[in-house]
Amino acid sequence: MRTLVLAAVSESPKVHLTAQTRIIAAVLALAFMVLVLELIRRDKLQERFSVVWFVAGLGMLLGAAFPGLLSLVADAMGVRDTNVALFSIVLLFLIGLALNFSVTMSRQAAQITRLAQERALEAVREQATSGEDGGESKRERLQS
Amino acid sequence: MRTLVFIPAWNEEDSIAAVIADVRDCMPEADVLVIDDGSTDSTEVRAGEAGALVATLPFNQGLGAALQTGYLYALRQGYDICAHLDADGQHPPAEVARLLEEVRADRADLVIGSRYRDRGPAGSDDYKATFSRRIGIGVFRFFLTLATRQRFTDTTSGMRAANRRAMVLFSERYSPDFAEIESLQLAVREGLRVEELPVRMLERAGGSSFLTPVRSAFFIFKGLVVLLVGQFRPKHAEAE
Repeated sequence: MRTLVLAAVSESPKVHLTAQTRIIAAVLALAFMVLVLELIRRDKLQERFSVVWFVAGLGMLLGAAFPGLLSLVADAMGVRDTNVALFSIVLLFLIGLALNFSVTMSRQAAQITRLAQERALEAVREQATSGEDGGESKRERLQS
Repeated sequence: MRTLVFIPAWNEEDSIAAVIADVRDCMPEADVLVIDDGSTDSTEVRAGEAGALVATLPFNQGLGAALQTGYLYALRQGYDICAHLDADGQHPPAEVARLLEEVRADRADLVIGSRYRDRGPAGSDDYKATFSRRIGIGVFRFFLTLATRQRFTDTTSGMRAANRRAMVLFSERYSPDFAEIESLQLAVREGLRVEELPVRMLERAGGSSFLTPVRSAFFIFKGLVVLLVGQFRPKHAEAE
């Protein structure tokens, strides 16, 4: 398929896909979107994370249905080879997504740390008060 | 003045009890809090037996998070001044008491105990660093001095004393990865009076340093990136 596309590209800047390839691509895109919906339905994916994946699936479907779109985009980018256009778009999208996940992870790491600290301090306050109440009880419990 | 001495500890069951006992001898007026950073040995129990309060983090989160827990406790419980030292017995509590004295006299907001600052002819040098460690120390010393325009000799010292201004700052913002170095940069940037005091430290009792040449190089590189980024962080007005 790749050689086919390459050959097509070397002749003209338009994208030529066989009907078979387009059907396969469309089916894969639909399957991907169904998978995303299914993951949301089973609570394995929160809605706010799903939007971006759903849009990605929609993009795939559009690309399969209207191959001409890709050459339009490539023209707009000033890229002659539609493959290059496709790969750079996907790559940029994935890099952006990875960065977004890093930001989310950092925030969550900070939240987890604070949660752990709050829990630890809560336990200390209990120790301190039980100590003032004349109880060596906590310490004895620790020893046993 | 209410004083808190806190000790971050991660799997230090061999030394923790002795360190706590030393601190209590040296500073009987101070409350002692051990922050058990998710130890898998009996550090928590030993510390409790030795008469310290123990804050146990549910899993290991690194020195920065442990120290921040201490500052947070000191701030919330209304301590006027606090200090922290390492749990491995490298830091003599008598020296910590000297750091606290500086803060109590309000000569600084944050006081760092430095192994390397000149103690004058009378001072003896008990502490010898390995070669790769010396390189790292030199690099960080140079760049931190450049970043803060203030001379620091012992950038990674874990023996410090602080007042409430520093507590407010550190309980809110404390880097989990480069706790020691970045906190100095942060403190100076936020306008705290940071001061180094020459102290005597001992060789670590047991265990070897985790640094290999490759790790040291990576550590230094990471530290430099952190320092560079830190220079561009927004400054915050103080909460208090």
